[in-house]
Amino acid sequence: MPANSIETQNLTKVFEKKAKAEALGLRRLYRRVKPKKDKIVAVDHVNLSIREGELFGLLGPNGAGKTTTIKLLCTLLLPDEGTATVNGYDITKQADKVRESIGVVTSGERGLYWRLTGRENLWFFSQLYNVPEQVANERIDKLLKLVELDERADEQVEKYSRGMKQRLHVIRGLVNDPPVLLLDEPTLGLDPASARVIRDFIKEELQKKQEKTILHTTHYMEEADQLCDRIAIIDYGKIIALDTPENLKKSIQRTDIIEIHVSNFRQENEEKVGLLEGVQKAVVVFTDPTIGEATIKFHVEKAEEVMPMATEFLIRNGARILTLEQTKPSLEDVFISLTGRKLRD
Amino acid sequence: MNIVREWRTFRAIFLRNFKLYTSYKAWIIATVIWPIPLLALNIYQYKPLGTDVDISAALQNYGFTNFAGMIIVGTIIYLLYNRLLWGTGISIQSERWMGTIEVLFVTPTNKMTVLIASGLSSLLEASWWIVSIFFLSWAIFGVQPNITSWFSVFVSLVSTMAALVSIGVFFAGFFVLTRAADQLASGLQAPVRFFSGVAFPVSALPQMLQFFSYLLPVTYGISALRKSILSGGNFEVIWLELVLLYVMTAIFLVSGYFTLKAVERQAKKKGTLYLF
Repeated sequence: MPANSIETQNLTKVFEKKAKAEALGLRRLYRRVKPKKDKIVAVDHVNLSIREGELFGLLGPNGAGKTTTIKLLCTLLLPDEGTATVNGYDITKQADKVRESIGVVTSGERGLYWRLTGRENLWFFSQLYNVPEQVANERIDKLLKLVELDERADEQVEKYSRGMKQRLHVIRGLVNDPPVLLLDEPTLGLDPASARVIRDFIKEELQKKQEKTILHTTHYMEEADQLCDRIAIIDYGKIIALDTPENLKKSIQRTDIIEIHVSNFRQENEEKVGLLEGVQKAVVVFTDPTIGEATIKFHVEKAEEVMPMATEFLIRNGARILTLEQTKPSLEDVFISLTGRKLRD
Repeated sequence: MNIVREWRTFRAIFLRNFKLYTSYKAWIIATVIWPIPLLALNIYQYKPLGTDVDISAALQNYGFTNFAGMIIVGTIIYLLYNRLLWGTGISIQSERWMGTIEVLFVTPTNKMTVLIASGLSSLLEASWWIVSIFFLSWAIFGVQPNITSWFSVFVSLVSTMAALVSIGVFFAGFFVLTRAADQLASGLQAPVRFFSGVAFPVSALPQMLQFFSYLLPVTYGISALRKSILSGGNFEVIWLELVLLYVMTAIFLVSGYFTLKAVERQAKKKGTLYLF
């Protein structure tokens, strides 16, 4: 068995985007001018080494390249540069072996046959993975029980709630009992209770009991923090930081975080708050722009020096301070510190 | 090739399609009713031209003595062509519509097995059409078949079905590439119906147009079945049609295999696999 279950070397994926003239239907003009197609580097020379049995998180905002990375690893996309191995198999040269070794869990409403029952869906996919009938049936019963879907297993999937469908998605990825699991935002759009069930299942059952190697993408920083042994932060297709959640947070330990919730904050002051003395980064998120309600997060060297200056500036510019607190660095602060943007921008 | 693996895939696709098909009750009704007016339309378009005897006499120059039988066989093969083209050719595109194409493509399954299983599962619907049309032919139009070799009828039908499934396999790649499977499949219906001589003898067409007829396996399928059902033709009479059907089946299957491979590679390169 390989020491690393997943390994990527300079993995790169570039997409071509239709030029504007063509997109607007101006074909004649397009033919005459022939502009070059815009290129989007979705995954940019990514190097990852994920150990056997590790729960590894890929954290980044929407469009950062998380799903593209997963699609490259599960052979749904071909890389333009670089290589990767999954369970010791090359994703381009041994694609079938890779597919036999993985379970892929996507999020959302797609990926299941709604007119079939939950059990029929699982049986169907088990057969595509060449699982013998008896083994498949026993495994399906066990998996359905594990995620508490056994009582609804013989109902059509279209009658399931969003959370139930997601649980079915997760166990669909397990019908072939793969050593490697690729989970693409498995809790996206779920209510907190359903998301917690999925998170617990991933951590307790899949990692601790079944000792699967798991690559888990998310843009929920709390989820990554809570679940993952190590996290790579990805932005614009590049890995910008990679370490354990604790070490990532420690990397900005010398930074103090001040969070001020205000109303009546004017947009023209958004840039000015970042220019205050002692402020390293300042991010403003408007929660209700009509009344100027916003949360301002300051990354500063010394909170006690900046706090009076910042509050004085805000009050002088007509803002009303609703709450003010000094917080501990979170993974979001790590992301802000690295990019100057919030994770959910 | 792992036979057990292919069998499991085949069975899973076949059963899934059957369950999906029967889960919509309205589809069953459409399957029962749809062939009836189509057959009636083809037969009644001849009726104003004279009595059955007059029409059959007029068609004798083209080698037919039973005009209703000629149309019935043509209609059966045309319905089979339609069903199998949709069932096989559109199977991968329909995974896109259902949002399951990516989860299907991350399994190590053989796509050719998926296509062939999809095609054969649609034969279930088609076989109902065949039975109902034969029943109607006897009950309403009084058609008396002239069969001397049931073996020839069976071989003609199976060989034609194989050729039609191979057409579906051939087009599946194009349908995935263009992402316009339903429009293309619909667009192919009328030309095939015309050139293959579903409702008239191909030899009635101008020489130049007959060239296109003889490029279509449907033409040979219709010819073989007409000979074996209506003229009492045995294996010696239909062997040429059968050989041509097998050659075409091989060509369509091999080129379909490579087309699908190339299209899959292209879709994975451009990231368009899931787009519909």
